[in-house]
Amino acid sequence: MLRIEHLTKVFPNGTVALKDVSFQVPDGEFLAVIGLSGSGKSTLLRCINRLIEPTSGKIIWNDVDITALSQAEMRNVRRQIGFIFQQFNLVKRSSVITNVLTGRLGYVGTVQSLAHYFSKQDTERALNNLDRLGLREKAYVRADSLSGGQQQRVAIARALMQEPKMILADEPVASLDPVLSHSILKYLEQLNKEDELTVLCSLHFLDLVHRYATHAIALKDGQVVFQGLPQEIDDAQFKAIYGQDAQRVSII
Amino acid sequence: MSGQTLFTAPPKTKNPLLAALLSLIIPGAGQLYLGARNVALAIFATTVVLAFLIWFTLENFRVGQIEIGGVETSWLWLLFAAFWLWNVFDAYQRARGKTTSRLLSFGIPILLIYIIAWQVTDANFPRLVTRFNDVKIIFDALLHPDLFTRDTETQQGATTIWIPCSNPPQTTPPGGNSGLPVGVDKVCGTVGDPLAMAGRGFKPNTTGNIYWQEYGGTNEAQVRSGGQPVVVTTDANGNFVTSFDIPAFAGRDGLDPNAPTVQGIQARFVQEVGAIRPSENFHVLIGSIQQVPAPEWMVSLGIRSPDDTVPRFVPGGIFVTIGLGLMATLISIVIAAPLSFFGARNVMARVRGGTIIYYIARGIFNIVRSIDTLIWAIILVTWTGLGAFTGLLALSIHSIAAIAKLYSEEVEHTDPGPVEATTAAGGNLLQNIRFALIPQIIPSFLAYSLLRWDINMRSATVVGFVSAAGIGFYIVESIRKGGYHEYAAALWCIAIVVLIVDYLSAYWREQIVKNENKISTEPPKPFYKTRRGIFYTILFILVFIASWNLAQIDLSKLLEPAPTFASVIYDFVTVDLSIPVWEQIVRQMLVTIFQALLATTLGAILALPFAFLAAKNITGRSPRTRWIYYAARFILSFLRSIEAILYVAIFVFWVGIGAFAGMLALSVTTFGLIGKLFSEAVENIEEGPVEALTATGANRLQSIAFAIVPQIVPPFISYAIYQWDINIRLATIIGLAGGGGIGQLFANYTGQLQYHKAGAVILAIVVVVTMMDFASAKIRERLV
Ligand SMILES: Nc1ncnc2c1ncn2[C@@H]1O[C@H](COP(=O)(O)OP(=O)(O)OP(=O)(O)O)[C@@H](O)[C@H]1O
Ligand SMILES: [Mg+2]
Repeated sequence: MLRIEHLTKVFPNGTVALKDVSFQVPDGEFLAVIGLSGSGKSTLLRCINRLIEPTSGKIIWNDVDITALSQAEMRNVRRQIGFIFQQFNLVKRSSVITNVLTGRLGYVGTVQSLAHYFSKQDTERALNNLDRLGLREKAYVRADSLSGGQQQRVAIARALMQEPKMILADEPVASLDPVLSHSILKYLEQLNKEDELTVLCSLHFLDLVHRYATHAIALKDGQVVFQGLPQEIDDAQFKAIYGQDAQRVSII
Repeated sequence: MSGQTLFTAPPKTKNPLLAALLSLIIPGAGQLYLGARNVALAIFATTVVLAFLIWFTLENFRVGQIEIGGVETSWLWLLFAAFWLWNVFDAYQRARGKTTSRLLSFGIPILLIYIIAWQVTDANFPRLVTRFNDVKIIFDALLHPDLFTRDTETQQGATTIWIPCSNPPQTTPPGGNSGLPVGVDKVCGTVGDPLAMAGRGFKPNTTGNIYWQEYGGTNEAQVRSGGQPVVVTTDANGNFVTSFDIPAFAGRDGLDPNAPTVQGIQARFVQEVGAIRPSENFHVLIGSIQQVPAPEWMVSLGIRSPDDTVPRFVPGGIFVTIGLGLMATLISIVIAAPLSFFGARNVMARVRGGTIIYYIARGIFNIVRSIDTLIWAIILVTWTGLGAFTGLLALSIHSIAAIAKLYSEEVEHTDPGPVEATTAAGGNLLQNIRFALIPQIIPSFLAYSLLRWDINMRSATVVGFVSAAGIGFYIVESIRKGGYHEYAAALWCIAIVVLIVDYLSAYWREQIVKNENKISTEPPKPFYKTRRGIFYTILFILVFIASWNLAQIDLSKLLEPAPTFASVIYDFVTVDLSIPVWEQIVRQMLVTIFQALLATTLGAILALPFAFLAAKNITGRSPRTRWIYYAARFILSFLRSIEAILYVAIFVFWVGIGAFAGMLALSVTTFGLIGKLFSEAVENIEEGPVEALTATGANRLQSIAFAIVPQIVPPFISYAIYQWDINIRLATIIGLAGGGGIGQLFANYTGQLQYHKAGAVILAIVVVVTMMDFASAKIRERLV
């Protein structure tokens, strides 16, 4: 169970990105976060694993208040939360397998990892995860030689190395074409269903939300303007979230 | 009057006469009143600087000095007044919404500055022509470096003569001929008498000289005719005839007819025979193979007995220099790489108190690198004494700071995404750096390191000027002895080595950019298990050991500083800021800055036509002109491969010691450096606009004027300013070789052990170099 209570984020330049945001995510849910560009989706997801420090409010995950943890304790929490980025954030010049192995950094000792030493099991696990995402034979090529969709799959494999209990995905398909979007989201759906991971995923397209999410919340100017099932987003809701001039579009 | 309200006021309320009046009272005030704040500031600053320059250089260098009614003043004040008037006019016109001539606004200050620069650096170009005959010796030496030699074979024939004739004259020759048969047409004679000489039996078709000799003694003089040595040539049968006057040398013991002396006349034919072989100097410069006692490890392995000798290569000066360059680069990479993270804003932002560390680190990098290697060497000599090791330390210190700054900037330019990803996975700071930052920066780090190797190699050639080791020292020594053939040989060696390093460095940097990407399904073998890896590891270890030995690294010296070291450092830090010292410093600093300015101007003007000859798209395409392209490129590379300070000796010989010689030396290197930059700018010309203009029916000249010139002028100006910046750094040391300016002042102060004053000089250098660095970067930013 993840509980967000009165979360507020004010950036040093005065931008209020999140304003008193509260909601709950039961374990095993696939929650879509929607909203216009600039509504605070990325800020929200980054606050949850404290890549951004929240200004006030609480984030309680499995009865632990994440906002109150020290940096060292935070590492332990972070390694249980996989994060998937819109721009993949792979180290382009490193090999695919090295990128995947960086998912273990929260588990291995500093000295060991600085010498690039990873145990046999870790390497094995990395190869298996790549296998699961259909990238086994790309393990030893450089990450920048892969296509966008492949790179995002490497990023998922990297997140899986953390053996996460929850996955935060910040617009994981916004840089990809529609067909690839479905393939990536299917992997997330699979992780949600088979591995019973909680998934929080910000998305742009409503039909993707309808298709994959079990629940949805909508942000507007840093505030929650909708909470509920994806099917409940009717035209009135839609206009409230996206503004009066918005048009529904669909991808495939 | 607040600027704010003036700014927003409607233009109608501006009174042109008031604006003009304001500018008449204070230059720029009218422009400020009209709201043009930057222009106002520029005008005011220019006026102040010009006034200072005119006053200071009149007092110190008697620039533009004239006498009016018994008062000494400078006629440059007239130009200054013209600028002031322009400023008044500009304010007036500006208020009426009109503009004034840019030519005047920039022209007058620039003209003034060049006039002053000319006088301050004591530029005297006619001397280049009037003294050209004397410098021919050096050019001849440059073409005949003392590197190779051949054995010689001498053929000679000598005869004798009575000097002078007795009364009555002798009838029989004194006799005592030797060698091949030669004879003269007189039995006796006196100084100035014409004499004919013949000989036979010599090698056919060869040339020789005539020597007048003290009979039975060792004194001799070459016989000359009209100032030039008499040259005799044998015919196809080996016979020769020649004639000359009896030289004054013959009368050195007096010309008493009662006591005539016997004197010898020798025809000498010296010929080079046999194969070309390395000269003595070659061994000193490059090295020789010598027999040395067998080393211990050979003895202990039983390969040789203790009494055996084995051949060993004893490296010469150039190898010491190569070793210094390599070792300094290695040291600076190892130290600068970790330091660079302290100078990277993005990394330091993640650490508590990091921003302060960032500013301190960057500040130190900038200060240390603004002090030239040679000046570091002078300081360090007080610590570790003379020798290669001190040179190495000086090279390393400067190089660490320079490279750390570049590395830091590279770290700042990395993509933050991967760091975010490893953080999200639970990585700590060190792990994030290791897995997300380092892989991103390795290629650019390598490229900068290679570039630095090139630069260090060049600096290593001159560090010996101070540290008394390596090729720089050899050059100092040969110049002192007047051994211009040896000097020339050293220059050639340096040029060759630097060109090779330059090429290798550029080639490898290119390879890094290409970054090959191998596709494999197997995990790659670790580096140390591949054959290439083993080869390079062994090569690296061997080069490392060799460089270590060549650089005479002796870490214990660091712990045993010279006894005076502490007090010297104390003196350096407690700088002497008294007025007379500052007057000296400002004086010499002006010389340095103006030297750099004139050298840049001169080098750039000379390089202008060359840039087109050395541009691939101009001369490199057609097979008929390609030789021009290669020749021009070679000349540019050759000239810039030798540091300016090494050229100073030539110009000191040519135009005399002082700022002018230094300026000329600087302009030779500038020519090579800027010629390359210019030619690259020409190569980057886009063809599109030329085509477009041709399509509109423009002729060739028109398309050059409208399509090519606008494309190359901004980069040319930008490069010239960049070069001025570099030249100021170079000019700070040119004085160490007699080229005048601040370097000479520094050398004088340290030579007199006045370290308080030397410290003040360093302070001034740091300030000026840093300011120039900043200003040149800002101006160039605007231009592009
Ligand atoms: N580091 C920052 N400093 C200041 N303001 C920021 C920063 N990051 C984000 N913001 C501001 O916070 C608000 C929310 O941004 P956020 O990136 O969370 O929006 P988003 O919903 O993810 O938008 P998008 O769909 O474009 O990714 C925006 O107004 C943004 O400009
Ligand atoms: Mg976002």
